[in-house]
Amino acid sequence: MTRLRIAALFASLVLLTLALVGPATSQAPPPSPTPKAGGTLNLMLREDLPQGFAIHETATISTVWPAMPCLNNLVLFDPLKKTESVDTIIGELAEKWSWQDNYRNLVFFLRKGVKWHDGQPFTAKDVKFTFDMLREAPDAPAKLRINPRKDWYANVEAIEAPDSHTVVFRLKRPQPSFLMLLASGYTPVYAAHLSPASYRTGCVGTGPFKLKEWRKGEYVELVRNPEYFVKGRPYLDTLKYYVIVERGTRQAALQAGKLDVSFPGETTKTAAEHLKHVVPQLVVTPVSQNVSDNIIMNVTKPPFDNPKVRLAVSYAIDRRALVGAVHQGGAVVGASLAPKPWGFWGLGERDLVGLPGYAATPADEKAKAKRLMAEVGVTPEKPLRVEIVTRAIAIYVDMASFVINELKQVGIEASLKQIETAQWHPMATRGDYQIGANLTGIGPDDPDANFYENYGCGSPRNYSQYCSEELMRMVDAQSQELDPKKRLVMVYAIQRKLEAEAARPILDWKLDYFTVWPHVKNLIPHQSIYNFGRMQDVWTDR
Amino acid sequence: MKTYVAQRLTIAVLTLLGMSIVIFVLLRLAPGDIVDILFSTAGYVSPAEKQAIMKELGMDRPYWVQYLDWLRQIATFDLGKSYRYDLPAWQIIRPLLPVTLELAALSIVFAVLLGVPTGVISAVRQDSTLDYVLRVISLAGLSMPAFWLGMVIILALVTWFRWIPPLTYVSPMENLTLHAVQFLLPALAVGYRSSALIMRITRSSLLEVLREDYIRTAWAKGQSERAVVWRHALKNALLPVVTVIGIEFAFLIGGLVVTETVFNLPGVARFLVQAILWRDYPIVQNLVMVIAIVVILSNLLVDMLYGVLDPRVRYGG
Repeated sequence: MTRLRIAALFASLVLLTLALVGPATSQAPPPSPTPKAGGTLNLMLREDLPQGFAIHETATISTVWPAMPCLNNLVLFDPLKKTESVDTIIGELAEKWSWQDNYRNLVFFLRKGVKWHDGQPFTAKDVKFTFDMLREAPDAPAKLRINPRKDWYANVEAIEAPDSHTVVFRLKRPQPSFLMLLASGYTPVYAAHLSPASYRTGCVGTGPFKLKEWRKGEYVELVRNPEYFVKGRPYLDTLKYYVIVERGTRQAALQAGKLDVSFPGETTKTAAEHLKHVVPQLVVTPVSQNVSDNIIMNVTKPPFDNPKVRLAVSYAIDRRALVGAVHQGGAVVGASLAPKPWGFWGLGERDLVGLPGYAATPADEKAKAKRLMAEVGVTPEKPLRVEIVTRAIAIYVDMASFVINELKQVGIEASLKQIETAQWHPMATRGDYQIGANLTGIGPDDPDANFYENYGCGSPRNYSQYCSEELMRMVDAQSQELDPKKRLVMVYAIQRKLEAEAARPILDWKLDYFTVWPHVKNLIPHQSIYNFGRMQDVWTDR
Repeated sequence: MKTYVAQRLTIAVLTLLGMSIVIFVLLRLAPGDIVDILFSTAGYVSPAEKQAIMKELGMDRPYWVQYLDWLRQIATFDLGKSYRYDLPAWQIIRPLLPVTLELAALSIVFAVLLGVPTGVISAVRQDSTLDYVLRVISLAGLSMPAFWLGMVIILALVTWFRWIPPLTYVSPMENLTLHAVQFLLPALAVGYRSSALIMRITRSSLLEVLREDYIRTAWAKGQSERAVVWRHALKNALLPVVTVIGIEFAFLIGGLVVTETVFNLPGVARFLVQAILWRDYPIVQNLVMVIAIVVILSNLLVDMLYGVLDPRVRYGG
């Protein structure tokens, strides 16, 4: 009798739950050809906004993704085109632009009648304020607390605002790809009448959506900006970003249809396959994250101050095996820029042949590594003992573990030291390590954004502290090259040099299996996760 | 009684003072600080910029000054500002408290509703098939982490019904049904584990009492099983059970981290972990103090209950 009562109690609870749950989500209706206005798009965040909406003070997608809809750039990569290049750049706050003086002056003609969300008019003053602040001009009216992309603007000599709707960027030398940097999601325009610190707690932008509420640790809600300067946009009424820390819960919410879109850069091949298996109607798009797995070796400290040791490390690691074992095929091999078709500038499979670590027979590469190690006195009886550091996050640790196994085969005995996130970048910037397994994300798929930031002499993000004057001359030369074809050849040469010198051996480029429900329209993932979050053209066909 | 309560409250204040020192020191001993985390989101570190932020946040002052400043803030009911959110700490902590308290209370209710009756049945039917079944169920509850059970519940719901609980907090004023569902499932996951503990304590305590002379006397007087077990034995067997319930409740206030994370409930425990990861000292310090206060009060309440349950317990003064 008692057992029956207990069973009845459990059954009642289950039935109660089921009754409250309601029916399962039904199949999505067939797509509609014309955009529909209205509705809410439910999106996920893996953590609360690290520094609010202050895009200029962070270098993480966790900020860019929910903040982009509130803000605007001068120019932006066309949200509706998957590939990012100079040809896919469209105007936002700039109606038109023009290169002058052989790509030394970039003139923007701004839209008129644009208003900030607080009603103030947008003018050239706001543009000058933002970019003087970013480049840390001596007379800049404001200063960012943290300025991760200052190096992007190193070539800007002056910014002038001859009238309220014209802005001129005067460059020290020609830099055609400067426009690419301005088109990144990392380059919004801030309001001059507000403190840059205000973006850490709120968001007054000119963007298609206005901030309604940010409930800390829970969600961010943005609503349609009825005064948006693009007529008829945005289509959606509301964007709601839910903070869900647990990855399993995020995936379950997407699977259940509570969320419409996956988080950029997060869905692995395995996860996408699972989602597709359980919900076949989900739309999965493999796309580049523009994030690479790489090895950082401190060139200022033994033993990696020896180029032979660095090269041996690069030869030792079988990139293709890494892609298969660690990413289950959800990554591609490449050098310091993402390869085609995932990126535009990277060396392809054929171009990689001959570079350390890319030979068809990994055993040959390991033999080369062993020979190099023997030259520096490392033998099986007398292995080289090093400590490999990595961030204490699964995606880092998995890669590091693979690398340790590879190094062991050429006489390098590496012990793993996991570094907590709080300590990772301070440690890497200070150079308090010998060798590390690292991930590097790049804003726009452009050589300038990558080379100056990650290989520039003295750049705080150049963790290996590799510095080559010859390389920097090559980087400057490609940056000034006006002919895209010639520039591509120069960029290839730089990548070969970087890999041949094992400056920062690139192991692979990770792919994202961006997943959306079929009712989500016009949300096109780009070749960089940082540039397609504006949401002004997105609509839902529920 | 009043003197006893006053004594306990005095001890509580001293305990909190000790706690404040421990949490303050431990936080500073942990590697890294909020400024390192801020730079971490930017992917670099600049010593000069770091120093400027340290100064802005008042972290460049000597530790003892920071500690005394915190005590002054507590004394004036001003808990300072979150480093991460640049908002008053209390403004952030306040909405988290009801969520965790409600979840902990509901879990305990579930635990008691499941644990006490099954414990009694198990004791009364000692060594029967039913006893073994209930003990296996209880052992499973103890062995099964609440977060694992929580994740299984979520996966089962999403697989079979393509449904999961709400992703944000639903207030009872907004939608009572949804609110109930939102708390029912995590409370079940957590309550099951706690019920296992309560069941085992109830069983062993009751078995001990059932062997007492006065129980034998009650049987000899011809009293019914219900009267002997429920009126005479259980009341005396409940003292250790109440202690366990009190401890469990106190444990749950800080121990719901994973359950709140899995069910995405915006409670104290989940937020505390995020605040620790961010080294958001004002939030962590004050949240831990709030948790300590709840633990102390719940222990005090349990001690008061002893007097109600056992007339022999008297609070001198």
